[in-house]
Amino acid sequence: MNLLFQLFFMFARLCTFAFGGGYVMFPSMIKASEQNGWGSASELTNIIAIAGMSPGPVAVNAAVGLGYKVAGVPGAIAACLGIAVPCAVIVVIVATFFFKAYNHPIVQYALNGLRPVITGIILYAGISIALKNGMLGTVPAACIQNGIYISLFGGFFELKSLLIAAATFLILLKTKVQPVFIIAAAGFLGVFIF
Amino acid sequence: MTKIDYKLLVQIYLSFFKLGSISFGGGYSMIPLIEREVVHCRNWVDKEKIVDIFAVSESLPGAIALNCSTFVGFSIARIPGAIAGLLGNLTPSVLLVLLLSAVFSKYSTYPAVRSAFSGIYPVIVGLILFASYKIARVSIKDVTSIAIGIIAFLASLLLHIDPIPLIICGAAAGIAIGFGRSLFKAASHEKINNKEGHKQ
Repeated sequence: MNLLFQLFFMFARLCTFAFGGGYVMFPSMIKASEQNGWGSASELTNIIAIAGMSPGPVAVNAAVGLGYKVAGVPGAIAACLGIAVPCAVIVVIVATFFFKAYNHPIVQYALNGLRPVITGIILYAGISIALKNGMLGTVPAACIQNGIYISLFGGFFELKSLLIAAATFLILLKTKVQPVFIIAAAGFLGVFIF
Repeated sequence: MTKIDYKLLVQIYLSFFKLGSISFGGGYSMIPLIEREVVHCRNWVDKEKIVDIFAVSESLPGAIALNCSTFVGFSIARIPGAIAGLLGNLTPSVLLVLLLSAVFSKYSTYPAVRSAFSGIYPVIVGLILFASYKIARVSIKDVTSIAIGIIAFLASLLLHIDPIPLIICGAAAGIAIGFGRSLFKAASHEKINNKEGHKQ
C-alpha cells in the first residue's frame, strides 16, 4: 500500500511540473527510480521504449510501465492516477477560472522563460538516455553488444546507435512517417546488427 | 447546472478512446486528430475555441494529449465531460502498455529481444531530440532564450540539478526579463519602441 502511495505521489509531483509534456519527466523518473531501487537506467530505458511504441500520451505510458514493473497492475493504476489526477484538477481549475489569464503579460513572461528551460531539459533527457545506455560517454564502457566504438575528442561513441538516432531525427524532420514504424523497423534491424 | 447527459458522455469517452488508440508519439501528434474529430466530425467545439484550448493545454504542466482531451471534454460537458475525455484517452494506452510490459517481462532475456531493443533505444533518443527541436522552434527566439536553454541543459548534465527547480527558475527569470524589458521600453525613446515594433 505504501509503495502504491509512493508511486502515486512521485508521478503526481513530476506531472505537476512537467511543462512541455511527458519527455520532461524522464530525467526525474530515471533518477527517482534509481534512488528507490525500482530499476536501473537501462531498465527504465526499456520502459520508455515501450511507452514510445504505444499509442496515447507518452507520460501515461511511461507511468503505467514503471508502475507495472514496481508493483504489478495496482502499481500501474496508482502511477497512472498520479498523472491523471493533477492533470484533471489543473485543467478544470484553469478552464473554469483562468482561461483568460493565459493572455496576461505575467503568464506570457513566465512561459517565455520556461520554454527554453524545457528545451534544454528535453535535450538533456535524450542525451542522458544515450549516455546511460553506452551510446556515448567519456569513459570507455563498451556495454552495447557488437557495438562499434570509436574514440573522438576524448569521448567514446557507438557508431551504429548514433547512426540510427540521427536517421530517426532526419526521418521525423523530413517526412511524416509515424514514430511507431521507425521503432518497428529499428527493432527488426537491431536483431541483425546487434 | 443542467442534468447530466449520459449519452453525450459516452460519445466523448468513445471519441477520445479512438483518438487515444491511434495517436502514436505523444501529445503533438494527437492535436490535429483531436481537431478533426471534435471540430469537423462532431461539431462539439468551434474552430476558434479549439486553437485557444490547444495553446493553453500546451502551456499547462502534464501530458499534453491528456490536457487537451480533458480540456475539450470540459468545454463540451463541464466536469463530467472532462472526466470522460480524460478516461477515454487513458484507457487504450493503459491496456496496451500493460499488455506490452507483461509480454516484454516474459521475453526480455531472449537474445533476439535484447538485440531488437538495442536497435530501438537509439530511436527513442532520436524521438526525444526531435521533441526538443520542436519545442526549440517555438521557444528559442533570441539570444536570451538561447542562453537560458543552454544553461538549463548544462545545469542538468553537469550539475545534475533536478528539472523542477530549473523550471521554476526559468519561469522566474522569464517574469524578471519580461518586466525588465517593459520598464526599459517605457523609459527609452520612441525610436527604440518603433524598432521593437518592426521586429514583431
